[in-house]
Amino acid sequence: MSETTREPDARRIATDARDRVRFEEDALALSDQVYRVARHLVGSREEAEDLMQETYARAFRSWRSFQPGTNLRAWLLRILTNLNIDRGRRQQRTPDTQPLEEGDYFLYNKLEASSDGSGDEERIVQRLSQNDVVEALSEVPHDFRDVVVLVDIGDFTYADAAQILDIPIGTVMSRLHRGRRILKQAMAESAAGGEAA
Amino acid sequence: MTAYDPCAHCEEMMQQYMDRVLTDAERVEAEAHLNECSYCRKRYRFEVKLRQFVHQTVIEPMPVELKRRLANLRTPLE
Repeated sequence: MSETTREPDARRIATDARDRVRFEEDALALSDQVYRVARHLVGSREEAEDLMQETYARAFRSWRSFQPGTNLRAWLLRILTNLNIDRGRRQQRTPDTQPLEEGDYFLYNKLEASSDGSGDEERIVQRLSQNDVVEALSEVPHDFRDVVVLVDIGDFTYADAAQILDIPIGTVMSRLHRGRRILKQAMAESAAGGEAA
Repeated sequence: MTAYDPCAHCEEMMQQYMDRVLTDAERVEAEAHLNECSYCRKRYRFEVKLRQFVHQTVIEPMPVELKRRLANLRTPLE
């Protein structure tokens, strides 16, 4: 009798251990992609590294709450963004009354105006440096940056970004729209500053 | 009343067009305008290149040491 009750227990424990190992391996395999997003949600590499460690420690502890077959990368990013908010790394709230930023064509118009007019679109993009982009991204207020980073750098869909940040999809769309414009405005300023220097 | 400006409308729709979230009717309208308007077409091509550039340029490889630390967080095998 005792043999027959112990056996299913042993099997369950073995299955559980196997599932956990598989989960941990799957999560680790995604770490490069998670880091790519994490790095631009916070200000420094050190913060991103801390956040990654906290995220993976929590993910490994609560692996049972992950539903197999759903998006593991989004699940990890949800933990990461929650931790980021909990740790008070996002003190900055963006007032709704900011003046309207420039339109979508602003950056192109700026770069084209300062070129000799002979460049095609590719060459005009190349007027931006890596530093222009990274610096500009760090200037986008957090609420907007989170969405831009998830969608444009992390390649998440609007629906995934909404789930990760726990905001309605309409808010994702409006923040993305505005965040991209703020980013382009900051890139235009950064590029102009670089030329002046 | 402000006159309808197709280029301003195209500018408004551009990002959603690139995200492929417009309705079929809106997409057809955007494509028709891009076909006939070189001003907007140039800007559309720029936006496509810009997205690729931003996507590639911000990638910072994860430090090897961090990868090792994450691996160490795994539950030890019994």
